[in-house]
Amino acid sequence: MKKITVEVCACNRCIMMGAMDIMESVESLKKLKTQLRLNTQVELIMDKKICGDLGDEVSPVVSINGDMMTRANTQSVMEQIIKIQRK
Amino acid sequence: MENGNKMRGVNTPITKIRRQVFTEIAKMAYQDKELSYIEQLPYKIIPGEVAMYRDDIFKERAIVGERLRLAMGLPLRPVGEHQPLANGIEDCAIPEKFYEPPLINVIPFACNACPETTVMVTDNCRGCLAHPCMSVCPVKAISMVDGKSHIDEEKCIRCGRCVEVCPYTAIVKYDRPCASACGVDAIESDNLGRAKINHDKCVSCGQCLVSCPFAAIADKSQIFQLITSIKQGDEVIAAIAPAFVGQFGPMATPEKVFEGIKQLGFKDVYEVAIGADLGAVEEAHHFAHKVATGEQQFLATSCCPSWSVMAKTWFPEVAHCVSDALTPMVATARVIKKEHPNAKVVFIGPCAAKKLEAQRRSVKSDVDFVITFEELMGMFVAKDIEFGDMEVTQSVDQATGDGRGYACSGGVADAIVANINSLYPDLEVKVDHAEGLKDCRKMMTLAKAGKRNGYLLEGMACPGGCVAGAGTILPIKKAQATVKLFKDKSQKHRALESDYVEDKEP
Repeated sequence: MKKITVEVCACNRCIMMGAMDIMESVESLKKLKTQLRLNTQVELIMDKKICGDLGDEVSPVVSINGDMMTRANTQSVMEQIIKIQRK
Repeated sequence: MENGNKMRGVNTPITKIRRQVFTEIAKMAYQDKELSYIEQLPYKIIPGEVAMYRDDIFKERAIVGERLRLAMGLPLRPVGEHQPLANGIEDCAIPEKFYEPPLINVIPFACNACPETTVMVTDNCRGCLAHPCMSVCPVKAISMVDGKSHIDEEKCIRCGRCVEVCPYTAIVKYDRPCASACGVDAIESDNLGRAKINHDKCVSCGQCLVSCPFAAIADKSQIFQLITSIKQGDEVIAAIAPAFVGQFGPMATPEKVFEGIKQLGFKDVYEVAIGADLGAVEEAHHFAHKVATGEQQFLATSCCPSWSVMAKTWFPEVAHCVSDALTPMVATARVIKKEHPNAKVVFIGPCAAKKLEAQRRSVKSDVDFVITFEELMGMFVAKDIEFGDMEVTQSVDQATGDGRGYACSGGVADAIVANINSLYPDLEVKVDHAEGLKDCRKMMTLAKAGKRNGYLLEGMACPGGCVAGAGTILPIKKAQATVKLFKDKSQKHRALESDYVEDKEP
């Protein structure tokens, strides 16, 4: 089984700009297991600041298997996860 | 679910803009910027030359400009007159509450002028042989035109019967999202078909402002004045509503939220659940002495101001059945003022309506400012406060599980019943509760008709309870689960066990 690690930045700015909604949307993918034919283990982490010195304008920041996504949103993060699992 | 509420809990660009506005206003106050700096903020929030959200970047900035004014507490500018964004800003740059009604405002040129209740045939219509839509229409408004159902707008009474019987779901009925979310029918139209709030009817629950898909509705804020007060050295104390747990992210434990608030310049923080404990016990006694004895028809809870104002205004015949116990906000504020007579009290909560409650003559001297969780988050970001960096040793242990449970629908009644059971074990308590003002109205209609005699009635204006208030950050279901965890972890469970409660005997 494939494993995807999704890390969502937990700094205040990222949370204010929707980090918790991104968490929620990734969790919601489990409910679409059949439709998406998901055979991937998604590990979701949100326990520290990962946006570092990227600046104020990049929130929310998400790392998927180590690749940083800036100005992330629910749509772009879910899309990226699905892309990786279908590879 | 009403179509207006469907967007709740979904993070959209509107949420981001609203929060950016709070952050920039908070920064402006903390960094002592010139007041004219506000003129630059629309360019900071909407940068570049290409529109991000609408068809026109100038319009986007103009709308953000009005939002910035509202966040300062200023009124909207008249669209037909030239006025700089900073017009009147000197008047509101004060260390005390600045409030000019109305609290909730429609930015007219941001409004999409969505049609009022509409029934329409979509492309999904197959022009079927059965065409049940025609058979059920009581005003013969539907005919077949070019092989598809056609609704005569003049004749249609928007009953929705055709919607229910179409086998292809080809006919839809929808309301304006703002009007649909409004439980007191306060959304009307201006002469250009744009939404207009009837402030005589509005109870400021804020559901319209989080339901408008065009970001056309916003409420006024007091963050600038609050920060000005903190910066001039006032003794400012926060009273934080029970719905706060989990709102500021997974690293923001209740203890860290309290510490973060102190780092913003507040001298101390109190749980509003203290006041909820006081209210639960008072209402338990009231129920036993008045309702159980038959002296009063029923007891309606009073902690949600939008619900209690609606109940009293729409049902004046039974207004005396709405509890007159102090709301948790006011009860806690009075505890604080007793312990710190010179302090300014800031209620931090999920709710727009509390801003209006704090304006009442009987409450004005108790609560000096009201801000929402979203506005507080803007202050944290403006001050670069990070929960991950914090070390705290002091635990949060001021209130009981009962008081903390007030944050979720059903929690208020649960707390009162639990305390009735402790104080008056032989008493049987019947409970009904409603969430969302439309359902609250239905419940009150039954109560007025005598069908809820002997009941305890809990009403919450926001579907889901306070955790679903207009000023919250966390998705509603998650917030309910987090509140329950915090409630269950309380050292004391019954409100009667609170050190603040004095009347502990039947």
